[in-house]
Amino acid sequence: MDKTILILDKGTTCTAWNYSGQRLAAGSTDGTIAIYDSTDPASSIFNCTARFKVQESSILKVVWVPPEYGDAVACISADGTLSLWEEVAQDADVLLWKLCICFERNTSQVLDIQFGDSHTCLKLVAAYSDGQVKIYEVLDPLELEKWQLQAEFQNVIDLVSKFGNASCSAASISWNPQRGELQQSSFVLGFTSSVPLLNSSKVWEFDQDHQRWLPVAELALPEDKSDQVFAVAWAPNIGRPYELIAVATQKGIAIWHVGSNPDSNGRLLTEKVAVLSGHDGEVWQMEWDMSGMTLASTGSDGVVKLWQSNLNGVWHEQAILAPSS
Amino acid sequence: MPGVTSNSGDSSLSIVPHFSDSQKPRIYPLRYHGLIPPLARVSISWARGSTLRVSLIQSDAISEKQPGGEVVEVKLTNMEGGEITEAQWRRIAYGSVTPFALLQSQKNLMDSSHYSKDWWEHVMEYSKEINSLLGNSKSSGNLVIEDPKAVLKKEEEPTSLKAAWELMEIFYADKQSETCIPERLLDWLADYDCLFSRTQPTVHAKLVDFQRELVTLQVVENDPKYWEAMSSALAVGWLDIVVKLLHLHGSYQFDQLGNRETENGLVEAVAVLISKMPRMRPDLPAEKLGECYQTKPEFMKAWEKWRAQITKLDCSAFWLQCDHHQTREGLKNMLQIMLGNTSILSNVTYHWIELFISHFLYIRPFTVGLENMCNLAQKCMHLKPISNHHKLMGLIIGILEENTEVVLAECSRSFGPWMITHALELLTAGSTQAEILLHEEQSKLGGINIEELHRLVYAQVLSSHALTWNIAPIYLTSCMKQGMGLLENLLYRQPVQNHQVLLKSIEICRLNELDIVSSNMMKISGVRNWKHGQKGSAVFWLQQAQDEVRLNRIAKQLFDFVGKSVSDESFKQWEGLIELLGTESKTAGGLKFLNIYRDFRRSLLQVHGGTTSDAAQKAVESLVSLMKNPSTPQRFWLPLLYDSLKLLNWQEHPLLNVSQTHLLLNKLQELSMARLRPDFTNVDLPPEALNSVRLALANNLGRAILEE
Repeated sequence: MDKTILILDKGTTCTAWNYSGQRLAAGSTDGTIAIYDSTDPASSIFNCTARFKVQESSILKVVWVPPEYGDAVACISADGTLSLWEEVAQDADVLLWKLCICFERNTSQVLDIQFGDSHTCLKLVAAYSDGQVKIYEVLDPLELEKWQLQAEFQNVIDLVSKFGNASCSAASISWNPQRGELQQSSFVLGFTSSVPLLNSSKVWEFDQDHQRWLPVAELALPEDKSDQVFAVAWAPNIGRPYELIAVATQKGIAIWHVGSNPDSNGRLLTEKVAVLSGHDGEVWQMEWDMSGMTLASTGSDGVVKLWQSNLNGVWHEQAILAPSS
Repeated sequence: MPGVTSNSGDSSLSIVPHFSDSQKPRIYPLRYHGLIPPLARVSISWARGSTLRVSLIQSDAISEKQPGGEVVEVKLTNMEGGEITEAQWRRIAYGSVTPFALLQSQKNLMDSSHYSKDWWEHVMEYSKEINSLLGNSKSSGNLVIEDPKAVLKKEEEPTSLKAAWELMEIFYADKQSETCIPERLLDWLADYDCLFSRTQPTVHAKLVDFQRELVTLQVVENDPKYWEAMSSALAVGWLDIVVKLLHLHGSYQFDQLGNRETENGLVEAVAVLISKMPRMRPDLPAEKLGECYQTKPEFMKAWEKWRAQITKLDCSAFWLQCDHHQTREGLKNMLQIMLGNTSILSNVTYHWIELFISHFLYIRPFTVGLENMCNLAQKCMHLKPISNHHKLMGLIIGILEENTEVVLAECSRSFGPWMITHALELLTAGSTQAEILLHEEQSKLGGINIEELHRLVYAQVLSSHALTWNIAPIYLTSCMKQGMGLLENLLYRQPVQNHQVLLKSIEICRLNELDIVSSNMMKISGVRNWKHGQKGSAVFWLQQAQDEVRLNRIAKQLFDFVGKSVSDESFKQWEGLIELLGTESKTAGGLKFLNIYRDFRRSLLQVHGGTTSDAAQKAVESLVSLMKNPSTPQRFWLPLLYDSLKLLNWQEHPLLNVSQTHLLLNKLQELSMARLRPDFTNVDLPPEALNSVRLALANNLGRAILEE
């Protein structure tokens, strides 16, 4: 049932698989990124094919750029910088990883990033430690060097409030994975911060008519709004009439149904259908499978848990994968 | 009823939703090798299908020699393992595609009014095809010359999967044999009783034991095991084995016949009665014994007659003349079995299902209704409780109880996603209640029905493996609601850098009209090629994808080439790209310009190589059409003219006529005006370029006028 497919370098801090699961990027404490490849889709033998230095400081997170834009990764370093690297052929067809851009920053650090909207114009959402959310857009579909800032806002439901001195330690972003021309771009975002109003997960949608981002739903009950958010995950939708989003806070993993049509205030109908007592302590990560039926989560208790709804719509813990030597 | 849940102890991890999951989550170990706990971080990523990859990252404080972590791949609900190997599973998976697809298309062709009438015939055909994939049928490999002492044939071990499939077929699909379900169950038990032997005593195990001893026995009839084995085999209806064993009786030997005439007569009489047993079934395989009757009245008549003969023999005076004690007792015992003596039947059978079958044979030969069967099964289970449930038991009980939910749960838990997906066809054909349940939309599951759910789960299992992902679309396209959504997600995750995979994916998209998905894959391939320096294939794939945005962007990059020195080596590569870009592209307006420019450039190269007037004339024509073409960017006018200086100053005769020269002069004039505007982009040319062009054109005009 389980087998080891890859041994990671010493000092590895984070890993990320590309869209097809054929390439793995692993960041490490010394600021290098190692790329592991499997040439044949049928084999699960992975070899390290490239290694490049990003920064002097440790790498906190690696994210692959959608494949429509080539083989490229974005990395967040411990010093809070965000840089983008891509694999391109230099002379004589030698493939090299080169720096495309190092996003400028002020004193705040980048906490989380996610790419979205790959079918039209690639966008990058970045959440910063001062509570700001920035959305960058790529200018040229064949060049990842040039980005422009499309929007900048704070994760608050009423757009008037501004918090100048927020201090955030973590953030989690998840794009609506749905592709297609008709789909509005949207994502969900939650913070762990000193300002309660910034914390709760909000769904942001791009308003095409007014060319701006609007909060269309808040995924927290009134009494939970200040809860710090560990992780969010937007499920793929292969035909459900509603969207499914998982939000992890210290109270557990909540499963939300989000309607697709806004009410008169422009808000989407939301319903919290389950709270699952998740991991003892912090939830590190949540991932939906490709059908959007099974949710996998990891947390500080060191195990992987699988969650599923039964035919009566009751969510429950389906299995626990416990690492053991 | 006891034993509804199966604890078959299978280790595969199930992620299929059921009606109720009251059990606590099962804990599975994730084995890692070189790491030392505690781990600093565990991160997860879903690969294709139901494969989960877990990165286990080591804490940094551990000694130098330790690796930094490892990635473990977990296949959830995988098919391998257990009694069937991975390769066999793949064979089954591939083999079942055609029958499944055929059945679906037949279903689509049929209008609902004919649905119930002959539908089961199609389902039976389907069932037989699938069954043949699950292993050899029993009737094969039947040797004519046999070892007289070989009671049981040695065959390859049957699988529980095949046994389960046949059960489903007996109860749901085979409408023709509805009246003889007990007989079919009897055959079924004959084939699969050995499966139960592993965990507890059975008639089969008893016979296997006796067979081993038989070789060493001199006088079989003196051994009580001989009689026990025969009674047991008789109780479960393995008549051929019983008769064969009876014929091993010592009284048949030539030197014995004289002394043991009566004894031999009794043995033979019992053997004849056994082989004449009336059976209510259309036919029997050649080696099986009994007399078949098709209709109930005929069968009942024969049955009464047969029973009367047994009673008569039982009361016969010949028994008193039989001196051999064991033979007398043994044969009498067998007569009691045939007369339906409950306590003896209970003594000679081991597993409840054996007792169950013996009841059909000798006590209640006319029982057919499921309700009666269920009551009987409960009674038998009560008499023969079992500690270790075989996974088939749960299924049998579910079927007899007519509890569709239990049948579904057992099929999927014990036999996996392949079984449930394919067996649902049998279930829906055989039971209206099941059909309603399976086709009812489940609002809690986003509106899909259970049938679709199981197909989706099976398709995910297929997509987990590189060798089976390409048959997943067959199952997904049979799902009305969410199949296409999952198919799209599956295709988006295909590694397009692999050429075979890319072509196969495009083909799947074409068959299912998923143009957006295929153009996205071509786009990914195009961009990848572009970045990797394979510009030709990049343009090819981007064109296939009709990605105007990126093609325009490439065309723009080619523009930058215009005005560079003619002898530039990269012209060839550039030329090829224009060729590829073609002229078809609608929005890439610059492409027409690039095409003419390429012709111009070619002719110009020839002119520079030698001095052929022909090439020069062609170059001039291209130049004129370039200057006439509205899509030629203004910034290229001067470089084009400057490149053509040699043509404008052609020694032999003026290449441009008067009107052509006027056109070029006008363009030059326009350019001078444009220079005054602020948005004018200056071209990187020598400062005297404009003047030298003007001079050359004036010169040409003069000569042209003279010539005309």
